[in-house]
Amino acid sequence: MVELTGSKALLEALKAEDVKHIFGIPGGAAIPIYDALYDEHEIHHILTRHEQGAAHAADGYARALGKPGVCMTTSGPGATNLTTGILNAYMDSSPVVAISGQVPTTTLGTDAFQEADMLSVMLPVTKHNFIIHKIEELPSVVRLAFKTAITGRPGPVHIDLPKNVQVNKADLKIPATIKYEKKIKLDPSTEDVRKAVHMLADAEQPVIYAGGGIVWSEASAELVELAELLEAPVTTSLLGKGTIPENHPLALGMLGMHGRMVANLAVTGCDVLLGVGVRFSDRATGDVRHFAQRAKIIHIDIDPVEIGKSVRVDLPIIGDAKRSLAAIIQGLRAHVKRGRTSRWLQRIKKLHEELAPRMDYDEVPIKPQRAIKDIMGVLGDDAIVVTEVGQCQMWAGHFCQIKKPRHFISSGGLGTMGFGFPAAMGVKVACPNCEVVNIAGDGSFLMNSQELATVVENKIDVVSCIFNNGYLGMVKQWQDMFFQKRRSAVNLGKSPDFVKLAEAYGAWGDRVTRPSEIAPKLKEALRCGKPAVLDIVIDPDEHVLPMVPAGGRLDAPILT
Amino acid sequence: MKTRIFSVLCQNVPGVMMRMSRYFTRRQINIDSITVGIEPTGLARIILMFKADDSLAELMCRIVERSEPVVDVEVIEPERSIVREIALLKTKKLGEKKMWQIAQQIEKAGGRVLETKGGVLIAELSGEHDEIERVIKELGEEVLKEVARSGQVLISREEICED
Repeated sequence: MVELTGSKALLEALKAEDVKHIFGIPGGAAIPIYDALYDEHEIHHILTRHEQGAAHAADGYARALGKPGVCMTTSGPGATNLTTGILNAYMDSSPVVAISGQVPTTTLGTDAFQEADMLSVMLPVTKHNFIIHKIEELPSVVRLAFKTAITGRPGPVHIDLPKNVQVNKADLKIPATIKYEKKIKLDPSTEDVRKAVHMLADAEQPVIYAGGGIVWSEASAELVELAELLEAPVTTSLLGKGTIPENHPLALGMLGMHGRMVANLAVTGCDVLLGVGVRFSDRATGDVRHFAQRAKIIHIDIDPVEIGKSVRVDLPIIGDAKRSLAAIIQGLRAHVKRGRTSRWLQRIKKLHEELAPRMDYDEVPIKPQRAIKDIMGVLGDDAIVVTEVGQCQMWAGHFCQIKKPRHFISSGGLGTMGFGFPAAMGVKVACPNCEVVNIAGDGSFLMNSQELATVVENKIDVVSCIFNNGYLGMVKQWQDMFFQKRRSAVNLGKSPDFVKLAEAYGAWGDRVTRPSEIAPKLKEALRCGKPAVLDIVIDPDEHVLPMVPAGGRLDAPILT
Repeated sequence: MKTRIFSVLCQNVPGVMMRMSRYFTRRQINIDSITVGIEPTGLARIILMFKADDSLAELMCRIVERSEPVVDVEVIEPERSIVREIALLKTKKLGEKKMWQIAQQIEKAGGRVLETKGGVLIAELSGEHDEIERVIKELGEEVLKEVARSGQVLISREEICED
């Protein structure tokens, strides 16, 4: 036991969790924590320019590294500015630990300056949240927050820390470990595994649908092994991209509204669908009545609440993805007959070839498909692609070939415009030796472009490729397709000049108008030794196609 | 739709009732009754009653179980438990004859008169929800000025049945 202030104890607890980076902004109710940080050498604080940026950066950091990302703010507006970023992390099961200062417990509830009832505000957007009323609770609450964020299905946790608790002193001991009381079922039941083995061994047209759960349970090797053993094609959710190398012969690419046609047709026609670590989002399934309607559906998830939430499930398996897949593989070895799916695979292969998307356009203005092709041509397999939200994101989801898990980072569930750039910043801090490219739209990029100051000041060399069409493109696309081209409030015009914007912040900036310039300019951006913005002027009339309209059938997309 | 009863054992921490009620609000379920008591262990026991079909009730059970402060959820069959509610009744100012008539009516229903002052009668009534409803309806707005109700508390008979 040593006498510590609450602030010092917080930092000691963070170090016990091996926290190396915090993204945040100080303010009145967090000054004592920042005062303690002044003397701290093991934790590096990165001052963002907006709290939302701090939340997304911590989220990107967590997704790239596979361990909790931390953000910190003051009370009131600082804390409420986190909420979008924290909900984004919640929807995508990302372990973010958010800490905000709060007015002293003695003035809680009095509408004190910069007071916000953060326990209530954070409650529906976090996996769990705490307010620390007494300094004695602090060490165990902080350690429990990290444990909660990363155990089972990951998710964000918020800690509200009143100012008097930050400055009070007490004899405190940071617990070496903390017991997580919640029971998490990791091992699938033998009976469920036995049933799954039989269903899969009998399948002649199986498909595996892999999601973010594979990433968090580090089950990519098992996924590929099972796919090869079963001779089953694999499609993924947006967050599952890279769980199977997308150049693998069995990889179909992304499923859903803007997924690959071959993936959508395979799921529609399969006889057994094995969903692993996916939540069957409405953007992936389309009309659930017609989703995999011929198939028996097996759903493996660590979170029992996901079972049967959206689609009917014939065999639910509650358990960790890695352990469940390993158990199924072991059972299948004795049962599976090689060549059983060969006719199915031939059909899939034929569809694959017939429906291969075209990317080799030479037109000016640049087609986004071509831009993705050339960007991916420059990037190595270790590069991490982060996306903003909207058309740019769906082009990236559809066309980018990702070969490793944690190498495609995107805002899936919440679809948060403004996510990509600060998230890319967090990714680059987590993986300083990787190339990090943010595939952005002009609308999304502007929603958190203030973080250009953060990346320049902290020498975080990310490259943002802005697919600039002068529109809120995805809304425009819906208006064009479903609202008689009545383009209401979507024209962004020509402002700003993104090259000058980048330069104003001290970043590298350049514009690309011809396809042949994309690769050389991107290479220059990656080597310039600064954060960079590449303004790629794209065809404003290009839609993301094919598209399954919301609630439509996966096998009935709009093609042109 | 069938009435569902969850007996939820959870940590007694700030916001736990808010957390619980939110899950139901979000799924557009109206909670019919919610009560909380502290167990000898220091854990809180929340008794929740609501109406839902089988699949929604099952989902709600999983949602409540997932909640971090929740230790255990017991789904209780109303037939296999003892359910009680307490109501405190205060009448309007009544004439003497009417007051005695009301007092008799309440006692006949198993209630107890607690006070009679200045023509106002205060009584307590405990019993099953429907029985209390019946008495309150019988007395009606003409007689009753105020009613305070505890919400339903219950205890499972499971172990008694097994023994």
